[in-house]
Amino acid sequence: MADFLRQTLPFQELPAAALEEALSALRISYHVQGSILEAASPHPGLRIVRSGAVDLRDRDNTLLDRLGEGESFVVGGPDSSQHPARAIVIEDALLYLLPAATFHRLRQQNRAFDRHFSSQRSRHLRRAARHRPPGNALQQKLRDSMSTALLTVAGSDSVQSVARAMAKRRVSSALVLENDRLAGIVTDRDLRVRCVAEALPSSTPVAAIMTPNPETIDAGSSLFDTLLLMTRRGYHHLPVTEDGRLAGMITTSDLILARQDDPVYLVQHISRQDSAAGIRNLLTGLPQLVLQWQQADMRAQQVSRILTAITDAVTVRLIQLAEAKLGPAPAAWCWTAFGSQARAEQLLGADQDNGMILADDAAPEHAPWFAALAQEVCAGLNLCGYPYCNGEVMATTDSWRQPLARWQDTVRRWTASPSPAAVMRVSIFFDLRAIYGDAGLCTALQATMLQQASNNTIFLAALAANVLDSRPPLGIFRRFVVERDGEHRDAVDLKKRGVLPLTDIARLHSLAHRIEAVNTEERLQALARERHLAMGDSRNLADALHCIQQQRLQQQCRQLLRGDKPDNFLNPRGLPTMAREQLRDAFTIIDQAQAALRLTYRAGLD
Amino acid sequence: MWLALRRLRWARRVAATPLQACWRQPLPDRHRDWRAGSFLVCDGEMSSLDPARGELLSLGWVAIANGAIELASARHQLLASERGVGHSATIHQITDRDLADAPAPATAMAALLQAAAGRVLVFHHARLDLAYLNRLSHRLYGAPLLLPVVDTLELERARQQRRGHPIPAAALTLQACRARYGLPAHGAHNALLDALATAELLLAQIAHRSNRRGRT
Repeated sequence: MADFLRQTLPFQELPAAALEEALSALRISYHVQGSILEAASPHPGLRIVRSGAVDLRDRDNTLLDRLGEGESFVVGGPDSSQHPARAIVIEDALLYLLPAATFHRLRQQNRAFDRHFSSQRSRHLRRAARHRPPGNALQQKLRDSMSTALLTVAGSDSVQSVARAMAKRRVSSALVLENDRLAGIVTDRDLRVRCVAEALPSSTPVAAIMTPNPETIDAGSSLFDTLLLMTRRGYHHLPVTEDGRLAGMITTSDLILARQDDPVYLVQHISRQDSAAGIRNLLTGLPQLVLQWQQADMRAQQVSRILTAITDAVTVRLIQLAEAKLGPAPAAWCWTAFGSQARAEQLLGADQDNGMILADDAAPEHAPWFAALAQEVCAGLNLCGYPYCNGEVMATTDSWRQPLARWQDTVRRWTASPSPAAVMRVSIFFDLRAIYGDAGLCTALQATMLQQASNNTIFLAALAANVLDSRPPLGIFRRFVVERDGEHRDAVDLKKRGVLPLTDIARLHSLAHRIEAVNTEERLQALARERHLAMGDSRNLADALHCIQQQRLQQQCRQLLRGDKPDNFLNPRGLPTMAREQLRDAFTIIDQAQAALRLTYRAGLD
Repeated sequence: MWLALRRLRWARRVAATPLQACWRQPLPDRHRDWRAGSFLVCDGEMSSLDPARGELLSLGWVAIANGAIELASARHQLLASERGVGHSATIHQITDRDLADAPAPATAMAALLQAAAGRVLVFHHARLDLAYLNRLSHRLYGAPLLLPVVDTLELERARQQRRGHPIPAAALTLQACRARYGLPAHGAHNALLDALATAELLLAQIAHRSNRRGRT
């Protein structure tokens, strides 16, 4: 019981005995929407919102704050200047009350507890603290970032043997030991400047070109201090000592890589891995990173762009590794991403949608190379957490790995006789982006698509019918329509009912008007710029997309925090009123856009 | 009223037992406002879903007075087991070792009856818990409990039926009922935490009942 409450209530600061006292004094009550708590209400004290939402207002009825789960407040009280006059329940709330007498006693006895509640203002600070980004990477200790696999040589070793050893170990420096004592350091630069440039024989002892008695730094120093020292003195390599003994080496690139929380460096790390397993290990921290970004208020579309950039980097690296194994490509080709990766709109849990476009001069005997590469890369992606596509939209499927001319034939066939199956595929297929190889192939295919689609009203009408098939989850009176049963009862599928219809709308207009952009927001902007869509409609749709994606991201983060697998289902009841209203507005915008689309592309057909 | 009459039949058997002491307290007034009622919300963990074969392993309870749960009243009691917990340990995490030092069922039962005196007992899915408690009561005192009982599951079923909603069984689990009132998820499987979760559900049900009456 104590553990449970310690986890759910803001009592972490209390010692065990005081916690017991607090627990046995607690009273739990439930308040329906519209209930009001005032200074004169019975049972004064600290109220903790366990669920629901509460508005705090002052005597002039000005809104002071809106509280959600885990936050606490005191109404009225002796120093009422510091406290709100009224609390209004805006969403059915479960409140845990710590009676005033116990609350004040605990505050007097526990300074940390007191500070925690010292004023309503500090609550904002606490909120900030709760979302505190993990400690600045530069404050970490050196010993966690240094390399400990050291190359040590004797001063009498020849320059050539040292250079060989460095090449073999793929390091850029060696430490010269004399009688187990650090006598000097020799780097790539020393070999170049002091040996090769001076035309010294390769048998010269390394002691002659080393930097003697190099400066060292203690392993307990912070990365910041290390960086400062190295920048000041212009060092690229610095030996590290622990208790006066040689313990490791730190280089400028180690320092850069220590900043793992930065997506740019994550991408860089990915490109350094030698195996799919290595990449997978790097990506295990990805959900944690997404949490940090979300808590730092990064917007959903930025998160999507970064996640997609990471997927791109993983794909490129896997292709490079496969090429290293299989030998160079026998003909020009292009690795192409489809669907959300192409649109740069991925969130966590995306599966792979990809294909290969081969140059038309690829000969039949080249086919095994491309098939083998597809196998390698798709298996690698699956290992790295991008599961195989259920619909087999993957380079490993023969029909998704074809020469350009055959791809173009497929497009002509699909657009000429749009069967329902073809129309379903189009929604994935017509969003495409070159990831690796000859991007011209991808551009040529896209040009064919736009040309075939924009001239073909029957095809566009078929696409429109498909778009109109998935309606936003709003019933009459704008009530949310939720799943009726199954695992996701009472929830709305944000992806299927929100993101996909909206993406479909933007794609349909773009195909009709030959817009080359693939990203939904860019498509909407281009459509407005070329006056195919009113500026207001374009902005509304973009806002709707952001709103839904934001809720989707937040939901995924909540699931991550609970230790659940992220999915796209959200119970609107669990949202604060304002967010729920925004979501409702977003779905209404989609609904209106669908109605407009019906008039444009299916006039007289339905 | 019926409860008082039925108790008469067993009055002689329960003489000088904790059950008799509990019966001596006046029954809660059925016509009083729900919001002011006194409740004792209970939950038990059992070694089997079949009362004929299983045993009561633990009891948790917490009281509601004047519309609020009072955590000071919360108790968690393990009961000494005669047959061992078997495979059920995977669900409630109670092992034979935990129960080695547990008090005899009579002790736990006496504590429960003392807390229940003058209150309405509340369970989620009362039938199962009551089957166990009545068996135990018969064994200890030679009579069934005959205490006033409210079942949050039945309250919810009635509410859904009034609104004309179809009710699949899964929709009446404690978790699903709580979710319908916006109460937070609770993952624990411990008699006391389940009792607390049930108590919060009852508060929500009462609040929405009186709210509805207030409006019409």
